[in-house]
Amino acid sequence: MAGSQDLNENPVAINVVPMVDVIFCLCVFFMCSFRFKQIEGKLDLWLPKSTGAGSLGPALLDDVRVALLWDEAHQRPIRRIGQRRIESDDELATMLREAHRDRVHLAQVDESVTIDADARIRWSDVVNVMDVCKREQFDQIELTYGGTPAR
Amino acid sequence: MAKFQPPPVEESVSPNLIPMIDIMFLLLLFFMLGADMSQRELEEVTLPQADMVQADSNTQTGDLTTVNVHHRTDHGFKCAVADGGGVCRDESHWLMAIRGKDYTRDTLNMQLQVEATLSVEPVADPKTGKQLSARMVMIRADQNAPYGLVQKVIEACSFANIYKIQVGAAKPPKA
Repeated sequence: MAGSQDLNENPVAINVVPMVDVIFCLCVFFMCSFRFKQIEGKLDLWLPKSTGAGSLGPALLDDVRVALLWDEAHQRPIRRIGQRRIESDDELATMLREAHRDRVHLAQVDESVTIDADARIRWSDVVNVMDVCKREQFDQIELTYGGTPAR
Repeated sequence: MAKFQPPPVEESVSPNLIPMIDIMFLLLLFFMLGADMSQRELEEVTLPQADMVQADSNTQTGDLTTVNVHHRTDHGFKCAVADGGGVCRDESHWLMAIRGKDYTRDTLNMQLQVEATLSVEPVADPKTGKQLSARMVMIRADQNAPYGLVQKVIEACSFANIYKIQVGAAKPPKA
């Protein structure tokens, strides 16, 4: 038998013990360094081609703009669309859905939403708003930079 | 008169190692193939989670520059806020890295301008007459990074005439 340790039976049997040791070491190395790969993806953004650095102009009537302000006192973000304060993701989704429906109703081609966030806001809060916008079929998301959002 | 004694029987008690070796080989194969050795240029960042994230289909990274925004961890660097899971707003604690090399705000501007020239749109933008870059920039920022840092990267992209931006996010685990 190939794996037999009996030398009388197989005079050319190899000693597998060092190999087992090496494989054990390799196994331990890979087990210790193993990390499940995180499934990563992307969210597309497009910067306006025609404008460089600078602040946005005044909001248009039909401009969907989500403002993310930083509440220093309570150390938490505040979300607003226009003057209305948004408390939850569902409320934000509802408002965006209504805006999207209005745009479809008015046959507007430009289905973009602008996220105007304070520099102190946590990045994951901004991505969360982007996620809700994508869910509500706003494909074009613009991020502002170079200023603080208007209150 | 001597009594007949049967010869002593040697019982072999050595275990059969072959099945164990087979299993260990399989384990070794699993860990070797599953080890994430392919993306060493990406920094260790905890990406924010998003449901609507698209699978990254950029198999060819020729036209893609990845900017990682990550907190400093070098030489046992300690930050009480970041270690406690909070949002560290000290900009000196954060780094912006491209292919494992860290950049400051000024050097990032220069590097992105270099990257932008590697791939240029064939036709100038009709509105502005500017020759825009066809380069795509992926921003992989830590979920706890302040948005101001991402703003800086976007601003640097804008100065370099790069307009194609992607934001890195992770698919949330299924409940």
